[in-house]
Amino acid sequence: MVQEKRILYEHLDVPNINTFDVYRQHDGYKRFEKAIADYQPDDVSKMVMDSGLKGRGGAGFSTGLKWSFVPKDIEPRYLCCNADESEPGTFSNRYVLEKNPHLLIEGILICCYAMGIETTYVYIRGEFTLGKKMLDAALEEAYEQGYLGENIKDSGINVNIYSHPGAGAYICGEETGLIESLEGKRGQPRNKPPFPAVEGVFMKPTVVQNVETLCNLPFIVDKGVEWYTEMGPTYGDARFDPPKPDPNTGTKLYCISGDVNEPGVYELELGLTCSELIEVAGGLRGEEVKAVIPGGSSAPILTNYELDTRLDFTSLTLAKSMLGSGGIIVMNETRNIVDCLLNIMKFYAHESCGQCTPCRWGTPWVRDIVQRIADGEGRQEKITRPKFGIAEGGRWGDTGETEEIYEDLDLLESVANNIANVDTMTWNTICVFGIAVSWPAVSYMRKFRPEFEATIREGKLTTLSVEDATVPPEENYAFQQRIIPKEMSELG
Amino acid sequence: MAFIKLNDLEIEVEDGTNIVEAARQNGIEVPHYCYHPGLTRPANCRMCLIETYGTPPGAPPGTIAPDRQLATGCTTTVRTAPPERKYEEKYDAIIRTDSPRVIKAREDILEFLLVHHPLDCPVCDQAGECDLQDFSHRHGRDKSRYVEVKNVPPKKDLGPDVLLYSTRCIVCTRCVRFCQEVSGTGELGLINRGSHDEIDIPRSHEGNPIQVLDNKLAGNVVDICPVGALISKDFLFKSRPWFMDKEDSICTGCSVGCNITVEYKEDGVYRVKPRFHEDINKHWMCDDGRLGYHYVNREDRLQLPLKKVDNEQSVTQWADAINIIKEKLSDVEADDIVVIGSAQGTNEDNYVLQLFAHDVLNTTQLGLFGQLPGEEHKYPQFTIESDKNPNTAGARTILGSANGNVVLENDALWEKVSNAKVVYLVSGIPDRILQDAEKAALENVEFLIVQDILPSEVTELADIVLPGTTFAEKDGTFTNSTGWVQRIRKTIDPPGEAQLDWQITQQIAKQLGGEINYSFAGEISIAISEHVEGYEVATHQNIGDTGVKLS
Repeated sequence: MVQEKRILYEHLDVPNINTFDVYRQHDGYKRFEKAIADYQPDDVSKMVMDSGLKGRGGAGFSTGLKWSFVPKDIEPRYLCCNADESEPGTFSNRYVLEKNPHLLIEGILICCYAMGIETTYVYIRGEFTLGKKMLDAALEEAYEQGYLGENIKDSGINVNIYSHPGAGAYICGEETGLIESLEGKRGQPRNKPPFPAVEGVFMKPTVVQNVETLCNLPFIVDKGVEWYTEMGPTYGDARFDPPKPDPNTGTKLYCISGDVNEPGVYELELGLTCSELIEVAGGLRGEEVKAVIPGGSSAPILTNYELDTRLDFTSLTLAKSMLGSGGIIVMNETRNIVDCLLNIMKFYAHESCGQCTPCRWGTPWVRDIVQRIADGEGRQEKITRPKFGIAEGGRWGDTGETEEIYEDLDLLESVANNIANVDTMTWNTICVFGIAVSWPAVSYMRKFRPEFEATIREGKLTTLSVEDATVPPEENYAFQQRIIPKEMSELG
Repeated sequence: MAFIKLNDLEIEVEDGTNIVEAARQNGIEVPHYCYHPGLTRPANCRMCLIETYGTPPGAPPGTIAPDRQLATGCTTTVRTAPPERKYEEKYDAIIRTDSPRVIKAREDILEFLLVHHPLDCPVCDQAGECDLQDFSHRHGRDKSRYVEVKNVPPKKDLGPDVLLYSTRCIVCTRCVRFCQEVSGTGELGLINRGSHDEIDIPRSHEGNPIQVLDNKLAGNVVDICPVGALISKDFLFKSRPWFMDKEDSICTGCSVGCNITVEYKEDGVYRVKPRFHEDINKHWMCDDGRLGYHYVNREDRLQLPLKKVDNEQSVTQWADAINIIKEKLSDVEADDIVVIGSAQGTNEDNYVLQLFAHDVLNTTQLGLFGQLPGEEHKYPQFTIESDKNPNTAGARTILGSANGNVVLENDALWEKVSNAKVVYLVSGIPDRILQDAEKAALENVEFLIVQDILPSEVTELADIVLPGTTFAEKDGTFTNSTGWVQRIRKTIDPPGEAQLDWQITQQIAKQLGGEINYSFAGEISIAISEHVEGYEVATHQNIGDTGVKLS
C-alpha cells in the first residue's frame, strides 16, 4: 500500500497555520531566510533547474528552463502567480490558499529572490472568496512582520505582492489569458511566441507559475536538490543519443474525485500508477472501473485496461493523455460516457473565449453533436446522396454518382480533429483550449465507441457494461501507440 | 534581405516581412481575414496557416522537416539568420503555403467560418468583393456539414454611416482594432463570449447607445471589414461592385491629398474608397472626403453658361458668353483686371489661367480663391487638415510662376477686387459661402466672370457664369500640403455643356488673340515641368500611380 508523502501539505491540518505565528513555529520563512543567507540568486535558479521541477499548472514545462528564458537586463520583471484554478476536477490550490497562504508567500519570495523580481501579482480565481480573504490576511501579516515590502529583513530585497481576483472565466487560467485579464483587457490568450518569459505583464518579462509550483520552492531550497530528485522517476528521452534525462521529480497534489470511497487531495510522489492511486483514495466505489480521467476534464480518458499507466508528466504524454493539473476523476460501471462527454462539452462550449475561429465555432458545434446523440437523435446510418459536380457535357449538375455523408460519430471526430488534431497533437487555435476540447471528444468517442453507437441505435442514453462499452485493446489507438518510458537507471 | 524558400520559389524579402506579405509580393495568395497591413496582428482568424520547416528535436543537424504545428503567416516574420543556422546552407527560412496540411487546414477553418454565416450573398452589399466569398471559392469546400441551428444576432445601427449585420460577422476584430489604434476613439468592442461574440458600441442596460461610431474615420471600418458585416448606409443597395468602373484619383476634401479610388457608372459617382499610399494616407481616408463626392452627382449642376441681363441670370450659348467676355476684356486696362485661380482646380487649370493672365491680358494681378478653412482633426495615425482645398500649394506656386506675378490671398485680394473693373474668378468650389468682406468686394466689381460647377452665392453675383468641371470629370494633378504631386483622372463626362476649366480659359484666350493651344492635360503638365521651378519631375508620365514628391 502506497503511503501519502506530505511535503507541501505537511502542516496543512495544523490549527491556525494560516497565521504568521503558527506558520513561523513550523519553520515558516526560515527557508526563505536560508535562501538569502546561504545562496546567491543564481544558485537558487540552478537548484530549481537541477531539481527537475516541472510546472504543476498543466503543461508540465520545466520551471528552471522557463526561468532561464527570462532576460535579466530588462526592468522591471514580474512574477505572476496563477491561482486561477478552474479545471473541472482540480481543487488542490484552493487548500493551499485557504489553509496555508504563508507557504505560497514564502515560495513567491524565493522565486522573486532568484529572479530579481520586485513585483508579484497573484491572480486568484474569482470564486475563491475565502482563499482571497485568507491570502490577503496573510499578506497583511507578512508586511507587518517585514517579510514583504521594502528592504526585507535588511537584505536589500524589495518584494510587493498584489492579489487580484478573476471574474470567473476558465480561459484566464491560461497564462497569457491571465496576463491580458490582469492588464484589464478581455481575457483572451495571446499568440506565442513571444512567450510571457520575454513579453508578459505590461509587455515586460514575466514568470508565470502555478501555486503548487511555487510552494515546492521552499522545500527544494531547504532540503536540497538530491533529496528532491530522489522522489519520483527520472526517465530517459530515447529520441536523443545518449538519452536525455527527463525528470518527473517531486510530489504532486492529486485531486481524486468521482467513484472512490475517500475523494480528496492526496500528496504523493510522481510516478504512481492509476490503480495504486485509486487504492490510496480508499478504493473504488462500485464494481469495476469504467474509465479514469487522469488530469482534469481536458485530458484524454483512460480505459480500465490502461490503469497501469504511471501518473506522471512523461508517462501520460506517451500514453496519449496528460497529467495536466492532476485532477483525477474515476468512473465506475454505472456511468454513461456519452453523458460525461456532454457534460464536459457543455462546459467547454460555454468557456471558449471566442477569439479564434476554430474554437469559437467548433466548440459549440461539437457540443451540439454530442447533445443530439445524447438526446437520442443521432443520425444512425451513413446517408447516401447524389453527388453534384461537373456532369456529362461539362455542365454543373447531378453527376449520377453518389457520395456518403458522415454519420454523427464520424462528424464529431472530424470536427473535433479540425479544432485540434489528436493524432498529430497539433492545434489550429491560438491557445491549447482547442486541444482541451478535442482531446476528450475524440478519446471518449474512440475508446467507448460501442456505447456511443448503442445510444444512437437505441435512441436514448444507453449504458453498457464495462466490457461491452470499451473498445478492445487492439482497436484502441492510444493503447496501440502507447510508449512506456524507461527510467534512466534502467537505460544505464 | 532574407533569402527564403517559399514553396518552390527562391525569393528575397526585407528582414521582418511576414509571410502573407512575402507571398503577396511574389504572386502567391495566402488567404487571411484578421490580418490587415495597417493594424496589429492578433492572428485570430487562423486562415493564413502555413507550414514552416525546421530541425526536429533530437534529429541530426542538417535534418529538415516540417514543424509539428502549422504557423500563422501573418505573425511569422523572416529575418536573415546567422550562417550556422541557415537551412541547406543558404535559406533563412523554408516555408510552404501549398502543402496538403495547409490546404486541409484552410478548408477546415472556412467550414467553421461558415457554420453560423447566413449565406445571404444575393442580398449582401459585399458580394463580389467579399473575402469570405472569394476564399470559399478558392480554398473552401462546396458543402457544409452543419445541421444545427445557426446563431442569429441582431442587425445594429452603429453610427451615422455604418450598419452592422451581425449574422455575417466573422469576429476578425479588424474594426475594433481600427478604432483603438488608428482613430484612437475606441467606440467598438466585443460583447458576450465564445460563439456569441458580437461587435457593438457601448450601450446602456436598456440597449440605448452611450457612444456611437461617429468619429471622422468611421467609414474605414466598412472598407476593412472582410465580409459584409459592416455596411455603409451611403452605399447600401446602390450597386453591385462589379457593375462599377474604377479609377484612381485624389480626394479633394482637404490638403492631405488622400489617394482614392472613384467607383462610378455612366450616371455618376457611386462611392469613393481610400487607396494605399505609404507616405500620405496609408490605407485610410476620412468620412468628409468619403461622403463628400455627392455634389458631383447633383441635379442642379451648372450645365450651360449664364448671362445677367437686367439683374436676371439666363441661359445662353457658349459662343455668346465668350463673345461678351471678349468685348468686356478688350475695353479694360490691364490694371483693372484681376484673375483669380482656384485652390480646388488642378495645376493644369491654374497654369493655363496664369498664361492667360500674364501673356494675353498682361496683368500681373492674380488671386487665389479656395474653400473656407475648417477644423483640424488629429488622430493617432491620421490627420485631417484645416485647409479644405486639395491644391492650395500647387495653385499658389503655379499662379505665381511667371515673372512679376503677384498672387494675392484673403484680405489683400478682396481689397484689390473691390477696386477692379473686371474680375475673372475660377471657383469650382461646392457650396462656398461668401463672407461679408468677400461679398462686398465682389458686389463692387463692374463685371464679374465666374467659372463654377454649382449655383452658389458666388455665381449669384456673376455677370457671366461659365460651367466648369469637378475632380471626377477631369485629368490633372494636385499638389498637397507636404509637396506630393499626384494625379486625378477623368471618370464620368461633365454634365450638359460644361467644359474643362483650362479649355474654357483657353477659348477665351484664343478669342483675345492669345496663343495658348493645348489639347490634353498631360501636355500642360509637360509645359509646367519646363516652366515652373520645382516641378521639373512632375509630368503625368513621372507621377504614375503613387505621385512624386517635390524636392
